[in-house]
Amino acid sequence: MRETTVDNKKDNRFEILKELLLTDDRQKFESLRDQFLEKDKIRENINPVVDEKIDDLKANFPEHFGDQITESIKVQIRESQDEVVEALYPIMGKLVKKFIIAEITKLTESINQTINDKFSLTQILKRLFKGKRTDADDVLQEVFEPVIEEVFVIGEKTGLLIGSYSRGNIADKDMVSGMLTAIKSFAEDAFKKEGQDLEDIKFETFQLSMVNYNSIYIATATSGVITSEFKEELSDNLNTLAEKILRDRTYLNDEDKLNKLIEDILILD
Amino acid sequence: MIAKKVLLIGSFGVGKTSLVRRFVLNEFSENYISTIGVRISTKTVAIEDEEVKLMIWDVAGTSEEENVPKAYFLGSSAAMYVFDLSREETYLNLDKEIESIKNLSGLDEVIIVGNKRDLLSDDEIFEIRKIVPVTIDFITSAKENANVEGAFNLLTQQSLK
Ligand SMILES: Nc1nc2c(ncn2[C@@H]2O[C@H](COP(=O)(O)OP(=O)(O)O)[C@@H](O)[C@H]2O)c(=O)[nH]1
Ligand SMILES: [Mg+2]
Repeated sequence: MRETTVDNKKDNRFEILKELLLTDDRQKFESLRDQFLEKDKIRENINPVVDEKIDDLKANFPEHFGDQITESIKVQIRESQDEVVEALYPIMGKLVKKFIIAEITKLTESINQTINDKFSLTQILKRLFKGKRTDADDVLQEVFEPVIEEVFVIGEKTGLLIGSYSRGNIADKDMVSGMLTAIKSFAEDAFKKEGQDLEDIKFETFQLSMVNYNSIYIATATSGVITSEFKEELSDNLNTLAEKILRDRTYLNDEDKLNKLIEDILILD
Repeated sequence: MIAKKVLLIGSFGVGKTSLVRRFVLNEFSENYISTIGVRISTKTVAIEDEEVKLMIWDVAGTSEEENVPKAYFLGSSAAMYVFDLSREETYLNLDKEIESIKNLSGLDEVIIVGNKRDLLSDDEIFEIRKIVPVTIDFITSAKENANVEGAFNLLTQQSLK
């Protein structure tokens, strides 16, 4: 099924997610920063003892407030699960809600970890005073960074694996490539779109994209949130890879050689 | 090592999956089957000094190939048609079925297997051989592990032709 609204809203939704996760705290930071910046004004009006306190506060902000801020973000994620699902749903596509909720538990852990790392909080102050990127950007970028996990070069008709790349360790890649062919054929049949490229199939936690190139097709499984920038680069690289393989057919009969080519073009690039 | 795609086809309930289970123990989860109508198992077989990795497509569906995408048949090197010796409706139109599979797959030959041997007497088997409109290559029992290896060996051999 096609949902034209999804793509248009994608970035927007992502913003919502960011807001959800970190707005309150950002506002706290901003008002705190404003106060600090007005230190000179304050100094004129109050005595040096208070002045000292302010210096102490500034220097030891993490110690004073770090735990509370981290905790408040954690609580917020926990308490806004429904909204997070809402925000994530169009991004992650047609995954069932139940699955997303299970994923959010993992996601929360991952975010917490990143928050714990990032909010080691001298960093926060540094960034606040620089007034540059928000921490939300940093956190989210790390959690959702798109990563190519698996690449399969598959014979179009047979479903047999010709070459591959893997970041993890899938036991029987031949079987996976067969399943991918079957899923692809099934979907094409079901939607009567034979010959068309099929993208964005969900396969467990991966986002699959499959592109047809004549006698082969290339499937990639990516984790994280796929940005348009990432997608463009991937698409360019896939075209380059396919061109090389189809020009020099020895790749089709030499798995090691092909595997190296895949890694060179798609991963190490 | 060479890999070959081979097909198992036949009506629902004849014992295709049971035969594959007997032959290999390496399978995908059930979920995918119900959704896309195929189970893919792999097994490496040594034959005539050669190692062949069989990719066995256990194609679900009825005899009318309902819900089985035509593309599933493409690129296969050999096929086994399984029917249930104890259920007439699974072999009555066997000749037409085989023709249709040959057309879809582009294969010249399809191995014919009658399964559930354990449910019938010798006399009954004798009678069935006469009724079935094509020659039966193997009579098997997945339950009692009779002739399963033999049937898959022939399948492997044909995949190399
Ligand atoms: N008695 C007997 N039952 C069998 C045999 N093979 C399969 N079955 C049973 O037949 C039913 C259908 O088997 P299944 O392998 O799922 O058939 P499929 O739909 O062709 O994959 C199951 O209840 C099996 O236990 C056999 O050789 N003998
Ligand atoms: Mg079955």
